[in-house]
Amino acid sequence: MGKNVLLVDDSSTMRKIVGRSLRQAGLDFDNIFEAADGIEALDVLEKESIDIVLSDINMPNMDGISFLREKSTREGIKDIPVFMISTETGDDIIGEAKSLGAIGAIKKPFTPEKVNEVLGPLM
Amino acid sequence: MDIQDKMIEATKEIFSSMVMMEITVKEVMDNHGALNDTITGMIGLAGTHKGVLAVHLPYSVAQAITSSFLMMDVEEINEDVHDAVGEIANMLGGNVKTILSEKGRDIDLSLPSTISGSQYSFQSDKQVDKVIIEFDTGKGTFIVEMDLEK
Repeated sequence: MGKNVLLVDDSSTMRKIVGRSLRQAGLDFDNIFEAADGIEALDVLEKESIDIVLSDINMPNMDGISFLREKSTREGIKDIPVFMISTETGDDIIGEAKSLGAIGAIKKPFTPEKVNEVLGPLM
Repeated sequence: MDIQDKMIEATKEIFSSMVMMEITVKEVMDNHGALNDTITGMIGLAGTHKGVLAVHLPYSVAQAITSSFLMMDVEEINEDVHDAVGEIANMLGGNVKTILSEKGRDIDLSLPSTISGSQYSFQSDKQVDKVIIEFDTGKGTFIVEMDLEK
């Protein structure tokens, strides 16, 4: 059975490309939901049944770190796994994301092969 | 490897893995003139290194790149083109940040922004070190530029 994924990125182009990479990687998702920032992402998580979140860090309104921090305080959604997909992959910022519950990170740019290698085992 | 070589490597990687285009270096430049019928994506750097990273794409090249990026025909400079060009600048900015800062916390990146027009100049009013590289996509050339405050 497939899963539901939420893509969080302020760039509509990047959301399309991540979605395409998931399909090219052969990962079995039933539905791909999208959000343009952390605020929209929290709203989707509260309304939909999401299995995994792939989130950018550098976004307007609510960035990826603030999104993780806020999500960790909400009982119904705090355990949904989040993977960061970002140009921001310095040790400190990824360390902070992981301390707030992120389970890993993929650096942009990426290939479908990389997406499959990292996310495949989680599916 | 110096910063110029790393910028070339990063730009080639972004284009081959995300835009699905192989590009080559046409020329390393000291300066460029006015930009005509061009869209520029840029991202600011603040912290231990201050400056701007920009990618200047003639309209025809921006459309070709966006078409390849999104795998759909793009026939005008629309919101998709601005978004794609901004995202290319964002990825380049992230790479430059990694090049300049190992830990990632001593440099902050702005959100990407884009400008476009029939003719404009792009220059800093501060004393800056410039790295300007012209790339060839096979469908036209574009410029990647980094201006870092001295």
